[in-house]
Amino acid sequence: MDFDIQPMTATLGAEIRGIDLTAEIDDPTIASIRQALLDHLVLVFRDQEMETEHHIAFAKRFGEIKRPPVATNHGGPPEVNVIDQDDPRGEGADAWHADNTYTMQPPMGSLLRVLKLPSVGGDTSFASMYAAYDALSPTIQNLCDQLVAVHDVTRSLSRAIDRGHSTANLAEVTAAFPPVEHPVVIVHPETGRRALFVNVNSTVRIQGMPPAESDMLLRYLFEHVKAQEFQVRVRWDTRSLVFLDNRCTQHYAVPDYRERRVLHRVAVEGERPVGIVKNAS
Amino acid sequence: MSVVAEPLSRHIGAEISGVSLADLSSEVARELRDLLQKYHVLFLRDQPITPHQLADAARQFGPLEVHAFARHLDDPPEVGVLDQTEPNKDGANNWHTDSTFQPEPPFGSMLQAVQLPSVGGDTTWASMIAAFDALSPLMQETLDGLTAMHDVRGPLLRAVAGGHAVQGIDDVIAEWPPREHPVVCRHPETGQRFLYVNSNFTTRINEVTEAESDALLHFLFQHVRTPEFQVRFRWNEGSVALWDNRCTQHYASADYDERRIMHRVTIAGSWAPSAN
Repeated sequence: MDFDIQPMTATLGAEIRGIDLTAEIDDPTIASIRQALLDHLVLVFRDQEMETEHHIAFAKRFGEIKRPPVATNHGGPPEVNVIDQDDPRGEGADAWHADNTYTMQPPMGSLLRVLKLPSVGGDTSFASMYAAYDALSPTIQNLCDQLVAVHDVTRSLSRAIDRGHSTANLAEVTAAFPPVEHPVVIVHPETGRRALFVNVNSTVRIQGMPPAESDMLLRYLFEHVKAQEFQVRVRWDTRSLVFLDNRCTQHYAVPDYRERRVLHRVAVEGERPVGIVKNAS
Repeated sequence: MSVVAEPLSRHIGAEISGVSLADLSSEVARELRDLLQKYHVLFLRDQPITPHQLADAARQFGPLEVHAFARHLDDPPEVGVLDQTEPNKDGANNWHTDSTFQPEPPFGSMLQAVQLPSVGGDTTWASMIAAFDALSPLMQETLDGLTAMHDVRGPLLRAVAGGHAVQGIDDVIAEWPPREHPVVCRHPETGQRFLYVNSNFTTRINEVTEAESDALLHFLFQHVRTPEFQVRFRWNEGSVALWDNRCTQHYASADYDERRIMHRVTIAGSWAPSAN
């Protein structure tokens, strides 16, 4: 099945038209979509009329569903993470991040739909971590290539709890997800390209570095990923589905609305990230 | 009279007794030079010497320089004068190595307290050997081989604004264009490696992006402020400090508003900062 791919920036993002994701999709078409994801990192499928079952079924074509590590009590299917907000400031999605990097195997990708939109606002920006890595000097690339960082759910979850965005039990979640180590630079398992893999929500320190060095480097990298040149900004409508490659992108949910916005996220299982250096544990 | 050195901290500084700078023999000067390699800054109290005696003592360690833009005596002109009641704008209250904008920055300096405020006006020195050693091996490896620009213009303009510079700005700027030095240097006598960037003169690390340079320099300028690398000296009138300007930085606390007069002689280096 042919579909139309329209790049949104020179760096990442493509709008996809001419395919109905509720229809039977053959394997070659799925392979083409996967290739488009590898090429464009973020796919925005427009003009989709779908229900939750279609959302889950489409995600399953790319791998096992990764259930939300911190479940939301919405009464719907357990595969779906429902993000239902009317004042999202400080919730955690309003910081540049890749999803669930505090887990040993973060998702390979996430598929997002917005079911209810504020009258204006609530965009999501995406950034290429290939571009972020490529923009570093060879000196800093070489340093980052050799580093391993610790990812920990505690900071972002406790902030979300403190601000009333989560009713999760911090002790239970941190017991279920003790801190994990991932390389600071990962090699994408499908493209072989190097991507920066630290994010402000979950990456708390660089292993084996004095705190002052680790703080300096992480603070720099967290600022670095914010460059406009690495980004695409998606304006939502309720007939769109966004498929992001979680291994080589970060995203930021702009919290500029005070009306209700409901987003469904379905995540696809990923592998343990692999870097240029071996993981320490 | 034998020379006795009492260390003041683990990494830097010793108070020296048994030396009279008024009649410094070449043998004792050699001993002081050896002690300088170990302690990087030496303090000698109760040295009521004249400017000529100060200059003569310093000459035992090398030829003297007239500072690029600071005030100095008419006789001898090698003795610079720091005469301050408002020390805030002269640049000495930033961590710095002297004159790193030159291709061959000074070997060292001797500084003598002539008139002091009733309290305050201490000077603190920091070992850049200790600063380098405290970096992680990966950070050391990353910095090794990099070069940075050293530029007189920022401190010069501050000194002019504070009334601390005599020579014309344009002349100084024309004479000393921005200069490249290694970020990590090797001590020509001991072979020890030390960090060679300072917040007065170092503007840019050349081999990385501007944002990376800002992050690294900001970090390194903070790093040198670690008390573990430092010794703080409380002056008496007649106290003299002699320091190795290659592997140290210093900071003059601007915590006084009474008159403070110091005499400084600068000992020329025949050393171009080098990584090898």
